[in-house]
Amino acid sequence: MVASLAVEARDVRKCFGPVTALDGLSLTVTAGEIYGLLGPNGSGKTTFIRILAGLVRPDGGTISVFGSSPRAVVATGGVGYMTQAPALYGELSIDENLTFFATLEGVTDPAPKIEDALRRVGLLDRRRSVVSTLSGGMRTRASLAATLLHAPRLLLLDEPTVGVDPAQRRDFWEHFRALAQSGVTLLVSSHVMDEASRCDRLGLIRSGRVLAEGSARELIARAGTADLESAFLALSEAPA
Amino acid sequence: MNPKRAGAVARRIVLQFRRDRRSLGLLFIAPILVLTLVGQLWGSSTTTKVRVIAAGDVDPQLYEALRGTNIELQAMERPAALEEVKAGRADAMIEFSETGATVTVEGSDPTRTSSFVGQVDAALTELIIGSPLRSAVTVKYLYGGPDYTLLDYLAPVLIGFFAYFFIFLLSCVSFLRERTSGTLERLLASPLRRGELIVGYLGGFGIFALLQALVILAFTVFVLKVQYRGNLATIFIVEAALVVGAVSLGLAISAFARNELQAVQFIPLVILPQAFLSGLLVPVDQLNEWLRPISTVLPLTYATEALRAVMVKGYALTDPLIVRDVGILAAFAVLMAIAAVLSIRREVA
Repeated sequence: MVASLAVEARDVRKCFGPVTALDGLSLTVTAGEIYGLLGPNGSGKTTFIRILAGLVRPDGGTISVFGSSPRAVVATGGVGYMTQAPALYGELSIDENLTFFATLEGVTDPAPKIEDALRRVGLLDRRRSVVSTLSGGMRTRASLAATLLHAPRLLLLDEPTVGVDPAQRRDFWEHFRALAQSGVTLLVSSHVMDEASRCDRLGLIRSGRVLAEGSARELIARAGTADLESAFLALSEAPA
Repeated sequence: MNPKRAGAVARRIVLQFRRDRRSLGLLFIAPILVLTLVGQLWGSSTTTKVRVIAAGDVDPQLYEALRGTNIELQAMERPAALEEVKAGRADAMIEFSETGATVTVEGSDPTRTSSFVGQVDAALTELIIGSPLRSAVTVKYLYGGPDYTLLDYLAPVLIGFFAYFFIFLLSCVSFLRERTSGTLERLLASPLRRGELIVGYLGGFGIFALLQALVILAFTVFVLKVQYRGNLATIFIVEAALVVGAVSLGLAISAFARNELQAVQFIPLVILPQAFLSGLLVPVDQLNEWLRPISTVLPLTYATEALRAVMVKGYALTDPLIVRDVGILAAFAVLMAIAAVLSIRREVA
């Protein structure tokens, strides 16, 4: 049986003026997996995520999310997007932020869902704190909670663990795994190898195209290196 | 259009304001401070004394003729008198001759000069003909009155201008922050539509804009005791149409700025021309030919016209002029709101 596809990108191209962000990127993400988008800064990870979030229209190629256009899926609350910098309102409390996003996403009976999301990210006791008074790590966790409220089928996480301490990072990943097991598809961008090894599959991206795709073990085997970091370097330096 | 989502945006803005004391201060305290100052400057009809020095001897009758004017006369030798005028300690020097008198004025402030030259002229004429001048003209006021101060004339315009200025600045900077902080990106990746976002902003800021308009109006009428004829509710409706347009304009303009500093840089471009060309300082029909078309596209022009008509002349809301002006202000608000919606582009990185 063929697992259903969450994301199918074929030859996606996007230029911002003279800068080519995506140069024929193709990849597929299977529903229910954690897909790691791995690549250096400026490789096109964020642009690709923004296309999936319906924020950017590609110049060429085809892209579908659960068989529809990204914007159509976003409009029905099918996508959760956690931006690189926590997108929360500093003057509002965590609770007020989450209530606001829950209303936008059309969440019915939000109170228990907000409570559940806050418990998952360990912020239940800080729910009345004003966001501008929180540490960077706490803001990131609150931002993740805001992304989970409407139970999206596809979660787009743009470098989700920046500024999060190691213990919390471990908890994040346990949580990501639990979400994937409940059927949510996760697309995580990162340049941290330790995180990448926790993904089911990885796409190595450089200069707006996928250099190699596979599980961490497959990529290591293909490159013939000892670990993922060396594999990444070897594969990205090899001629295309 | 989902009213729930637009409502959530409006509610969020109100919540944000609650914790933003500085913005609340800008909205409600700043206009009152400025209006208090303006009231002090223009609200009294007392005139300043004009000091005139006669070079050489003075006919004692001249002192008599100048009584009751605000001219204070003093005699002095010519070089000393000239020195006083040059130094700005006196406004003018009079020299008498066989044929009449020469008045040498300091002259750097044209309004001050023209106000006392007339009085000096009248006093000297009295002296020459040897009897007090009695005017044959009786002045009747259609609007205003002899006790109308400059403040009474300018207040209608200032009410509009301050309400317009502060709310424009605040909505522009707030929406800019939404654009630059990454929250707009987050909102656009949700089911929220661009129109709902703008309607929500208009709702949230509209509440504060109207409250501010109310505070400014109440302060002007009840504390500064500015004279007005028309209905207070009519004044408020004109103001309301103006400030909602100011919110929309702020939202649309914020698309052209990348940071708060750039937003502030729009003040001389967007706000000052309106101050000069809307009839606030110079009546529109006295503007240069080529400036008049510009004034016709400025919302403040219509607000100024309508507010003056209501406050000074007592026009009613149903008067065709007021209906037209409020209509134009409302159309401007809608147009700018559409521009604001179009200014939200998903593409921009």
